[in-house]
Amino acid sequence: MFDKAVIIPTGDEIKEGIVLDTDSPMIMQTLIRLNPLCQIARRMPINDLEAHIAEGVSQAAAEGADLVVIIGGSGGGHRYSATLGKDFTHSALEALLSPQFSGEIYGKNGHMWCKLLCGFVGDTLVINVPGPYREALAAMEAFADTYDKAPADLKEINRAMLEAVIKQYPVSALQ
Amino acid sequence: MNDSQVIVQADKTVIKIHNVRVKGLNTQSLENILIEKLESMVRVIGVTGSSIEMDVYGLDEEAILKDSEGFIKAVSLAEGITASEVTAIAYAKKICQVDFDHIPSKEGHACMKERWL
Repeated sequence: MFDKAVIIPTGDEIKEGIVLDTDSPMIMQTLIRLNPLCQIARRMPINDLEAHIAEGVSQAAAEGADLVVIIGGSGGGHRYSATLGKDFTHSALEALLSPQFSGEIYGKNGHMWCKLLCGFVGDTLVINVPGPYREALAAMEAFADTYDKAPADLKEINRAMLEAVIKQYPVSALQ
Repeated sequence: MNDSQVIVQADKTVIKIHNVRVKGLNTQSLENILIEKLESMVRVIGVTGSSIEMDVYGLDEEAILKDSEGFIKAVSLAEGITASEVTAIAYAKKICQVDFDHIPSKEGHACMKERWL
């Protein structure tokens, strides 16, 4: 079980206070439910830049965090829609985590709607959740349930979190 | 690395509102207001200080545009949003289904700038 957890919100809109960060308190509550004795820190929000995200995760790992939760930047963003922000969380984590498991959700329009990763930086478990509250909540509840039963099963943690996010869409899914 | 990919079959209309002032937006509050008005699922996906982009599931653009005034009025009720007489729907577009083969199998691994520009 993790003793020290770090929550890192990402996104210019969060950093500038344009959007309230309601995900961090929810994640904190979920983690406290999982381990009432854990220490949890919410870091200052960081910009959607691969280098900043990688630095934030690496720093938390170096400071002894057992678990890091990154919020937001999980979609295809600007790559698919010129009007959306640039999402880099998944690409930053892809370069950092080893071992790692990931799952991608695509829409029928061919756009990547969400990518979730789960893996380690040294001894630190790192996961990401989508920014929209309902998806983040579903992903965190799935993480908590799965981690509680099998904390070392990264593949199952990632699968459960992905399935929980898919259930937030009024859809059928094709694997 | 172990990847899984899932394609979801959902109809949605992407809506962008512009010329609006946004500060301290509670996206849950906005989504709840619009879910109640539209009786459809709504997800806020992009916000700047002057625009809001959202996905509305299961409704065509015509259904949104026929009452654009009511839509904007509902949006303006959310905490953190200040609408004005120039606030408008910049666009409302229903997503188009693409051929299965056009769904990318894997993201590129070029540098950040090359991948996004």
